[in-house]
Amino acid sequence: MSEAVVQEFYGGEASQAAAAEYIIQARDLAKRYELGKNNFVDALRGASLDIRRGEMAAIMGPSGSGKSTFMHIAGCLDVADGGQVWLDGRRVDGLAGRELVRVRRTEIGFIFQGFNLIPTLSAEENVALSAEYAGHSRRDALHRGRELLELVGLGDRMRHVPSELSGGQQQRVAIARALVNDPGIVMGDEPTGDLDTATSAEIVGMMRTINRERGTTFLIVTHNPEVAEACDRTIRMRDGVVVDDGDGTPPGTAGA
Amino acid sequence: MRLLRNIFRRKLRAFLTIFGISIGVFALVVMGALAEKLTLLVDGGMKYYEGKVVVTGPSQFAGLASSPLKKSLLREIEHTEGVSRASAAVSALVDEEIPTVSMGNIPTIQAEDGRAKGIETFIIRIAEGRELKNSDVGMVVVGSDLVKKLNAHVGGHVEIRGERYLVVGINEKTLTAPDNAVVMTMEDAQKIVHDDLPDAVKDSVEPDTIVSSFAVYLEPGQRPEVVARRLERTIDNIEAMTPLDFERQIKQPLAIFTSIIYAIALISLLVGGLSVINTMTMAVAERTREIGVRKAIGASNAQIMGQFIAESAVIGLIGGLLGLVFGLLVTSAGNAAGEASGNALFLVSNRLILGSLAFAVGLGTVSGLYPAWHAANLNPVEALRYE
Repeated sequence: MSEAVVQEFYGGEASQAAAAEYIIQARDLAKRYELGKNNFVDALRGASLDIRRGEMAAIMGPSGSGKSTFMHIAGCLDVADGGQVWLDGRRVDGLAGRELVRVRRTEIGFIFQGFNLIPTLSAEENVALSAEYAGHSRRDALHRGRELLELVGLGDRMRHVPSELSGGQQQRVAIARALVNDPGIVMGDEPTGDLDTATSAEIVGMMRTINRERGTTFLIVTHNPEVAEACDRTIRMRDGVVVDDGDGTPPGTAGA
Repeated sequence: MRLLRNIFRRKLRAFLTIFGISIGVFALVVMGALAEKLTLLVDGGMKYYEGKVVVTGPSQFAGLASSPLKKSLLREIEHTEGVSRASAAVSALVDEEIPTVSMGNIPTIQAEDGRAKGIETFIIRIAEGRELKNSDVGMVVVGSDLVKKLNAHVGGHVEIRGERYLVVGINEKTLTAPDNAVVMTMEDAQKIVHDDLPDAVKDSVEPDTIVSSFAVYLEPGQRPEVVARRLERTIDNIEAMTPLDFERQIKQPLAIFTSIIYAIALISLLVGGLSVINTMTMAVAERTREIGVRKAIGASNAQIMGQFIAESAVIGLIGGLLGLVFGLLVTSAGNAAGEASGNALFLVSNRLILGSLAFAVGLGTVSGLYPAWHAANLNPVEALRYE
């Protein structure tokens, strides 16, 4: 985080520590989706939230509360219409497409509902793909892919294509893929949405372990209270704003 | 190959698209091989006509189909200003009947008096055996394309118009008209031409005075057009053909013919290209969600675009290779069948092979541009939501 940004946002020296403490800082995010003429949805109406480095946080809220939109903007998949986002101390709102891609590659890993693996690629190729996009050679990328598949316990399934894997196994491949570029934060959009209770618990347990052992931050959007239960804190959103950040501190004042 | 796995996700569609391209390339190869062969024949003719004038009887077409001349014209021609030497030649058809389909080259009998030796630059080498001498009555040298048709081998006999001739040599392949010619002595050829004459005139013509054409060699610095017009002015009932005349009569119509051939082939390829656009557009639509995922895990627009263009180029390449294989099969089968009658229609040149493949790949690439651009510019969030 540049000195100027620190000055601008926090003012003073204490904020340096704040920048080190928080991996995501979002202020007053606004996002409007135009559905047609005079027909729009305000998905975010001034959402503010801080995510601590190394924590595992859940975002809950009813459909349309803006939790996925928040994640997409914080994850540099989308841009806000208003507000500011710092990712790892760097201001990312207003970045151009190419820079967003760079941030996405190196800083963020994604896990989706429905797994979203590439159906024609084997488990190891799916994991390696993300590393290849980030500029690693194919060989190097496959090597990393295999290491991470070992980590998620799929060492014996590396050459299988997604259709030959169970839902839980596919989601573990997705977790490995999210980790392959060593991102500071992994974002999960309903990662257990398509899984049964037992598998869901297994996947959450795996994320918990990775969070503890590797220090990777997890931000998980979920409907499932059991998933939220396993996290360090639960953030609640409604109508496009954060109504409870689960910390007992009003957002934006945490580190100041 | 990850690309191939993507292409063959929808097997039927991939095959149909590839087939569309193959048909186009097949058409291009077959039609192109026809055009290449004709072009080569004409270029050979151009080389033969270069720097000389060919004198024939009136209303002849490129030296074929004879209304014979008199041998005595040789003296008159050689006395014309600008002429250094003339050489008499007799030509006839190997078969009495002209084949009804006569696309390529019709097998001919060729004889000349040997006066051109040392000046003629269009020389055909002997592949086997020896050259024909003026005294070799009853003997022939066979052009390479006629070996099969006549069942010729050096030392053996061939039958032409009911007569048996001893084969003393076989010419090297030139890929031009001489490949379809049997070379014999003036005396033998004159006899054949004489036999072909209508009965009414047969008796009034002595066989050894018959000449089909004269090759007229010019003194240095003389222009063929000038000498040709001079010959036509001074000698009655002849036509003098210059390189320029040959070009006007043969080369230009051929150029039009070949462009029509290529146009037809290219149109069929373009149709193939449209089906590639269709296929790729559908592939992008089907894989919208996957494109969203790829972007989320770090693919740049350029990487997505590159992937789809590569897929489309590979479709073009596979289609091109298949079409080329079909084309080679058909043209070589056609040539094998044609060889029996001494008439090879097709020439698949290297430039035709490379050109067809390059065109197929280029077409695939260009057809993929728009779908790929569309894929690259999808909004990742919307793409991820796409069901």
